[in-house]
Amino acid sequence: MDELEFRKRLYANPNTPDQELLDAAQNNPDYQKILDETQELEADVNQLLSSVTAPQGLRDQLLNIPTQAEPEAATTVFPNRAAANSSYFQYYAIAAILLLAVGVTFSLMFNSGPSSAEIAFGNEVIQHLYVDEVEINAITAGTDSSILAMPVINQAMADSGTRLVNVDFLQGIPVRMAKPCPVLPAYQSAHLVIQGSQGAVSIIVVNNSPVSLEYTIRDDRFEGVVVPMGEGNMILLGESDENLDQYKDLFSEGVDWVI
Amino acid sequence: MSNGPVIHGSTKQQRYESLVATLYQDVYRYAFWLCKNKPMAEDLVQETFLRAWRSLDSLQNDKAVKAWLFTILRRENARQYERYRPELVDIEGQSVAESGENEPDARMDRELLHNAINRLDSDYREPLLLQVIGGFSGKEIAEILNLNNNTVMTRLFRARSILKQEFELDADELED
Repeated sequence: MDELEFRKRLYANPNTPDQELLDAAQNNPDYQKILDETQELEADVNQLLSSVTAPQGLRDQLLNIPTQAEPEAATTVFPNRAAANSSYFQYYAIAAILLLAVGVTFSLMFNSGPSSAEIAFGNEVIQHLYVDEVEINAITAGTDSSILAMPVINQAMADSGTRLVNVDFLQGIPVRMAKPCPVLPAYQSAHLVIQGSQGAVSIIVVNNSPVSLEYTIRDDRFEGVVVPMGEGNMILLGESDENLDQYKDLFSEGVDWVI
Repeated sequence: MSNGPVIHGSTKQQRYESLVATLYQDVYRYAFWLCKNKPMAEDLVQETFLRAWRSLDSLQNDKAVKAWLFTILRRENARQYERYRPELVDIEGQSVAESGENEPDARMDRELLHNAINRLDSDYREPLLLQVIGGFSGKEIAEILNLNNNTVMTRLFRARSILKQEFELDADELED
């Protein structure tokens, strides 16, 4: 084993060197010195990284999250109180339904844009693109020209609860990346990246609640559209001067949801 | 695969409490070294556990819970801070480097090492943090970072090579 190979294997996992490394070190004093120095440095690294401790009170704050996130759960813990309040609850329910009806009417009359939650969802998806920025940059720059095979694409789609109903439409469209996507951790989703005319075009399908209407999203670099589709949403995002309409039509018809 | 901690309890609440008790220190450590700032790390950890609570029912393999939490945190860091990171003054570094060491030489070594780790490019720092703090195997790190195993091993090799080189260089400069 030459020294580079020895170092490579040792540095990749200095705490548990395999027997071959130990044997090589035992038979060569230079290697033994490298092993000792590396393990010494590793102990220092370990000690330094582990020396950070969480601030006091953080644990209690974390334990309080369930009550803060779902305050309504507290009422279900006390059934007697809930029963005592049941008559009031009926009045509240009627009032809430009336308010909701008025609200929906007004929103339909005066508000034709996406809701704040939908805007936030769009922003979240755009931000998520930057998680894959390296890959996207490589595709846009043309340094990644790989074309994925259909089984890889199908697997990514299946992992999101979707499937391609008509694979023919992908002919002529180079799919560079396909993978399950954690944009919303609670929901299944898939992220495909194809080669567009101006660079990478992302197609993200998420099985969260469909948005109320199609709307555009953008930041300094990317521009895209959120499209309600069946049991979820499809988001197309590309460089700001990319024409996404053609892909929107293709993928709207080519993707089906598996429930 | 490393033996990840198993969360206990039959109700969602019990499982969550077990999750916090078992892992909050490691998750905070990872957050701190990832974003290099205590308040931001605290925010990240809170957001991570909030998302974990909301998605806990979808967690199918309790043994993978640590990798799951670290993945949520990593993505939350990318979502919130990687692009819009404010200018930070690294006052945290000094306190971490000084903690627990009374000898001036040892303090200096820790400070040099701290700086060397912080200067590592994130491509190299992240696998290192996942291996040392998270205790993950190469395969698990590959899954978390969405890389192949060989790339992870190469990055770990590069991380420690750079660290060793920079740490020794800094020490030599101080001696001169």
